[in-house]
Amino acid sequence: MLAFALRRVLTLLPLLLLVSVVFFAMLRLGRGDPALDYLRLSQIPPTEAALALVRQQLGLDRSLPAQYLSWLADAVRLDFGTSWATQRPVLEDILQALPATLQLAGAAMALVLLLGLPLGLLAALYRDRWPDHLTRALAFLGVSLPNFWLGFLLVLLFSVQLGWLPAMGREGPASLILPAIATATVSLCVTLRLMRASVLGVLGERHLVFARARGLPERGVIARHVLPNALIPPLTTLGLHLGELLGGAMVVEMVFAWPGLGRYALLAIGNRDFPALQGFVLAMTAVFVLCNLLVDLAYAWLDPRIRLGAKAA
Amino acid sequence: MLRRSLLGAATLAWTLPRVSRAAAPDSLVFSWPSNAGPLDPHGYGPNQMYAQAMLYEPLVRYGASGTIEPCLATRWALDESGRAWTFTLRPGVRFSDGTAFDAAAAKANIDILLRHRERHGWLELMSRIEAAEAPDPATLRLRLDQPYDPALFDLSLVRPLRFASPAVLLPGGSVSAPIGTGPWRLAESRRGERDVFLRREDYWGEKPALRQVVVKVVGDANTRALALEAGEIDLVYGADQLDADTFRRFAADARFTTAISPPMATRMLAINSGRAATDDLAVRRAIQQGIDRDALARHVLQGTEPAATSLFAPGMSKAAPGLMTLPFDPMAAVTVLEQAGWQLPPGGRVRQKQGAVLALDLCFSGGDALQKALAEAIQSDLGRIGIAARLLGADAATLQARQRSGDFGLVFTETWGPPYDPHAFLGAMRAPSHADWQAQRGLPMKAAIDRRITALLAATNATAREADEQWVLTTLHEQAVYFPISFLTNKQVHRKGLGEVPFGGTFDEIPFHHIRRG
Amino acid sequence: MRRWLPRLALLLLALLLGLAALAPWIAPFDPAETNLAQRLMPPSTMHWLGTDHLGRDLLSRLLWGARASLGAVGAILLLVLAIGTVLGCLAGLLGGVVDTVLMRLADAFMTVPTLVLALFFVGALGTGMVNVIVAIALSHWAFYARLVRGLTLSLRARDHVAAARVAGASRLDIARRHVVPAVAGQVAVLASLDLGHWILHVAGLSFLGLGVAAPGAEWGVMISDARPFFRTAPMLVLLPGAAILLTVMAFNLLGDALRDRLDPALAEHGH
Repeated sequence: MLAFALRRVLTLLPLLLLVSVVFFAMLRLGRGDPALDYLRLSQIPPTEAALALVRQQLGLDRSLPAQYLSWLADAVRLDFGTSWATQRPVLEDILQALPATLQLAGAAMALVLLLGLPLGLLAALYRDRWPDHLTRALAFLGVSLPNFWLGFLLVLLFSVQLGWLPAMGREGPASLILPAIATATVSLCVTLRLMRASVLGVLGERHLVFARARGLPERGVIARHVLPNALIPPLTTLGLHLGELLGGAMVVEMVFAWPGLGRYALLAIGNRDFPALQGFVLAMTAVFVLCNLLVDLAYAWLDPRIRLGAKAA
Repeated sequence: MLRRSLLGAATLAWTLPRVSRAAAPDSLVFSWPSNAGPLDPHGYGPNQMYAQAMLYEPLVRYGASGTIEPCLATRWALDESGRAWTFTLRPGVRFSDGTAFDAAAAKANIDILLRHRERHGWLELMSRIEAAEAPDPATLRLRLDQPYDPALFDLSLVRPLRFASPAVLLPGGSVSAPIGTGPWRLAESRRGERDVFLRREDYWGEKPALRQVVVKVVGDANTRALALEAGEIDLVYGADQLDADTFRRFAADARFTTAISPPMATRMLAINSGRAATDDLAVRRAIQQGIDRDALARHVLQGTEPAATSLFAPGMSKAAPGLMTLPFDPMAAVTVLEQAGWQLPPGGRVRQKQGAVLALDLCFSGGDALQKALAEAIQSDLGRIGIAARLLGADAATLQARQRSGDFGLVFTETWGPPYDPHAFLGAMRAPSHADWQAQRGLPMKAAIDRRITALLAATNATAREADEQWVLTTLHEQAVYFPISFLTNKQVHRKGLGEVPFGGTFDEIPFHHIRRG
Repeated sequence: MRRWLPRLALLLLALLLGLAALAPWIAPFDPAETNLAQRLMPPSTMHWLGTDHLGRDLLSRLLWGARASLGAVGAILLLVLAIGTVLGCLAGLLGGVVDTVLMRLADAFMTVPTLVLALFFVGALGTGMVNVIVAIALSHWAFYARLVRGLTLSLRARDHVAAARVAGASRLDIARRHVVPAVAGQVAVLASLDLGHWILHVAGLSFLGLGVAAPGAEWGVMISDARPFFRTAPMLVLLPGAAILLTVMAFNLLGDALRDRLDPALAEHGH
């Protein structure tokens, strides 16, 4: 198991290195003059002398590969530079904002699992009866909802009209409910549909007919035979959904003034704050990769075939 | 089964506690788009001025009536040369760390400022001060290299000429902790969430009625409005904290009190005289009459800001009382354009002159909903008189670069309001990195404008100063390089129960110490 | 899935495309023409859906918004297909180092959540609709390149393709005659399922103020602009949102139907 984990991590490293090259290249080959941006954000008048000094300080006068290598050397020591706008270490800024984003994405993921899977099962068990029709209709609507629009409607209904839940901010568990719903809805509905299909697929399999014929109670059949098999397809897509939820959180955060990385990123884009932008995308990549790694390891632990298959390959 | 769970959800929702309202009676919840920052009295950037003003105090204060009042200095005098100011410091003032505020502490602050003089080049006084002296603990003397008439106004600004405890001053020019002499101290700062300020029980002056001010971080105006409505914040105060329609909605709501301050500064367009087609005076004049200013004030600004009648708000400049904006008159604008040779091609909607098309770039801050709405309306107005305005909604970075390099046709700008107007604003017109310099660059008398501004700032004789100011403002008016849109105002909205919230005299300070819960 | 649903979706999409294409001719007003005296008006015979905060005709803006959204998605589709198919074919047909490099690059792009990657690219390239389109395309091409490469590899092993190679057909020929037609169906399924997703991406980025420039009409921007006016004129927020919802729904329905038709193996999943 440990060997499998190590191997997975080792294959990830070159990938991450390549990702960092792509990011670095995009930023440096993109728009504008970083030295000018730096001076503007530091509120120093951009004279030619100041520009030359900043170019030297930021190492912009060196070749691109040299700049990349020195950036990489800092980055592996977890030094992502100083944000030009906040004048604070990027890592500090990000560690401050990241928990809020993870909390939002995590709560959304919990909603996806705790509502999407049971409702999918429900729909399948009541196939072609009204609970099935209702959940499918809602799911069908849900997969097409723009999350920011939904968030706005939720605020108007539950905060402004009814006064039940906070409209904004991050104070207490109640403030998490609306943003989590807005972030989760699309993934939740996709998972619901997948779960329903998956349960229906398993229900049609032959061994169930035998199990029922042996006289096992229906409830036992579902718990012991249907669920374990039916859960696999929706669970394998969790990694993908995590990406959707993290991305969705970026937009939803703006609707709810949620103090996460989405707002940090938007400020960085507006300010053209390159270190902050780079730190943002690296942090999100790290979270995404790490979570997928954990999911992989969990599968391998649950299902020895994956471990062995990986070894054979 | 589903029915039961739905009912369950409904009852659960009912029993959830309603959103917590109104905190302690001596506490106020406010909101701001960002955290207060490191709170360095001499710093810009992430430091927020309202918070710097809560913690740090100036030698002299700009009073609500527009006069200079004592603060950390009780008396001041200018010597006959006009080059040395002597301040008598208030006795018994202590920083929030217990250190006494005396001449040595004041000098330590000014020495640090002078060591990093280049950072403060935008402020004329910082270029004029040669040295600070502390002949005795109660006396501070500032030596200038040449007379500078508005020195006291510059000293009253929120930054950079305020004072932190010498114990926290770092040689590099910032502070290790936010320690000032003001009525508040910073108690807590949770980034992205809130800053908490507590009243100083040992404050030298009249203590604030409020014990605590909580400032939540709220990024945009829509969220702020919802929070106010839901009772999560108590007060909205500022020039651009709410959009005009939302302000009007609150004004019509019996649960809220709203108020608008008198005009304080000017929201305007700078017109680039150094670039085609606005290098043509006729085009600039046509713009003056081609945009329906009253409609913008009435419909876009919803009457929250009055239509501008002059370059500076009333009372801001003693000179040039007769320089009024021209009324909206599209026919007159068309006549001006046609006389200058800008003709509509057959079937076309955009005027041309000798093959040149009457098109210009209208730049605005893309993230600013009000600027965007104004820009869209102005574009339509200009279109009707045959001027094609291309809207360029830029992020802050791009916009600033464009202003710096003069890469704009029209751009939104504002005067700075008291105590900067008019002297500091005029002074900045001489800096090429300012949109104003770029806008005026094409004027044949630009050199004379800069020279006259330099003269009026150094003038020791009031008549000479006013003559220069009169000439500069008249020239800018005749050359039509600004289109004043409206006079900026402070606005406030709060629940009826909050009691009294007075307006401060400037945009930079929020008078928390005068707020009293009813 | 009921049989009439895909037809309804097709009809709806055809209608939307038609309206978007004809917007300049059928929109009753210039979508940027303001009329401040007529702002926030309720529906009337002149303005069928009322006017926005600057007195612009809402119906006209919705129609032009369809043009912006569908146009953007169309451009993304073309870009993604072009990059994905070319790189995928290259990797599959050439193999070796080219394959390794391209696929590692694809992996790199796939290790970042798509919207996060799009946000980053907009940050690097600058805001504006063209950059938003490029950013979304750049954050999605890898999925297509992988799919095309996989299909190409499996095709290469098949008899008739092998025969063509033996007969001396060039790689380009093989790509054109055998690979592209076989790949088209699968790519169409993936793309049709992604179109709705892209509409949401475009609207989301526009909502954040990174997309279409003023005074352009786009559904996400319209919602963002209209937020302060929701109480006085709820239609300004509701209608653009409903337009997004409807369009995405239509694309999703079509995607599901296409998948059922072209990819029976997947047909049991998802509904």
